[in-house]
Amino acid sequence: MSMAKDNGSLNLVLIGGSSGSFAIFEEIIRLVRNPLSFALIFVLHRGKSSTAVLPEIFKNKTNVAMSEPYHLDLIETNSIYFAYPDYHLLIGPDRRFYYDCTDKDFFSRPSIDATFISAAASGISVKAAMLFSGSSADGALGMKTLAEKGFPTYVQNPAEAESPRMPEQAILAYEKHRVMTGGNLFSIINDILQ
Amino acid sequence: MVLMEYSELEMLIVRIRKISGFDFSGYARPSLLRRASRYLTTHKMDFPQLLAYIEQGGNVVYGLIQELTVNYSEMFRDADFFMKVKAEVFTYLESYPTLRFWVAGCASGEEAYSLAIFLKEAGFLNRSLIYATDLSNKALTAAREGIFTLGNVRTFSENYLAAGGKHSLSDYYHVAYNKAAMLPELRRNIVFSMHDLTGDGVFNEFQFVSCRNVMIYFTLELRQKVFRLLYDSLSMLGFLCLGKRETLRYSGLEENFKVIDSTLNIYQKIR
Repeated sequence: MSMAKDNGSLNLVLIGGSSGSFAIFEEIIRLVRNPLSFALIFVLHRGKSSTAVLPEIFKNKTNVAMSEPYHLDLIETNSIYFAYPDYHLLIGPDRRFYYDCTDKDFFSRPSIDATFISAAASGISVKAAMLFSGSSADGALGMKTLAEKGFPTYVQNPAEAESPRMPEQAILAYEKHRVMTGGNLFSIINDILQ
Repeated sequence: MVLMEYSELEMLIVRIRKISGFDFSGYARPSLLRRASRYLTTHKMDFPQLLAYIEQGGNVVYGLIQELTVNYSEMFRDADFFMKVKAEVFTYLESYPTLRFWVAGCASGEEAYSLAIFLKEAGFLNRSLIYATDLSNKALTAAREGIFTLGNVRTFSENYLAAGGKHSLSDYYHVAYNKAAMLPELRRNIVFSMHDLTGDGVFNEFQFVSCRNVMIYFTLELRQKVFRLLYDSLSMLGFLCLGKRETLRYSGLEENFKVIDSTLNIYQKIR
């Protein structure tokens, strides 16, 4: 099995969200500057019949390579990835993406927990995990698992989220997440990603 | 939720093999880890308890293997896939006097019944045979019964209409005791039987093989072996269908297939 070219240096930034997060995702993609020192992975709750191709929608926002990866694709630095509808997107210890069609978590496939928990178990370094607006409890366990492994975790201030439940549940599950508050959300995100 | 680590998963794989002979070493670890963690959670145990528990062997290990291998499916999954199969594949196969289809990894029969229904609507179900195989006896028993919950059937009906079904799905099942039972006439051309893609060999030659979202549970190495088996089971110019996020890449057989649809992952054997 071949390993990633940048053996040893892969860093992940994981971003999860649901209702009320789309515009934030769009702004983050506009914000990041090529080349990224990490792989940026977005998990957005989507219906199984969603036909939106996110790399198409965002293609005018960035010149970083974007894709909805295929099963077994290598995770590359300086790339942006999106979870595909109706599958869980798992991160393997061999730095490849793995798809999974098992049960939904919190009625969601893709689920944020599935991706985040697999990243925590993978042994790959996570530079930051962030959780934004949404109306379910998905993501809370994944964020807690990442935080307990010692990775930096950031949660949108529920009071500022369009749907507060998802960040609220994450904080309830683990109170030591850093809450992104006290200033412009995007300048905070920008600082984290530097 | 109880989470397992990869080191624990490897220990579990060794124990299961020792106790039951079933070998998970060719299974993709990320998905297996997720399933094993779910098993711990639903059975309210931690890893040492699981190890002690499976020492009983017998039905306990069998039940664990079932849960770690079961595939989830639905009828007419991916409407655009079925539209394409009807438009490009069925029209191609129409002229054949007899046809053999293989649903490899058929779970509870959802894909096999979907094919049977669309073959019937295309007018050649009676000269087609659908072989639907799985390694799980439990899944096959359910598949033979062809009984689904009304909740599931509601989703299947929506999928059926989205996939261009000509009638109402309710024309193909009857409801009894709050369940939907597929009509026996659909079953007449389906052979459900046990087959382990990871160990068993070629058993027939097919004009069409559907193996969607099955090989995602195998390691890269095992996947290549299964690809070879599917290739060897296809007649020349036969069709191979994979799940939407799978590709022929990393199969070692890319050159032997023509791409019919790269998004929907439909291929035709050309050499």
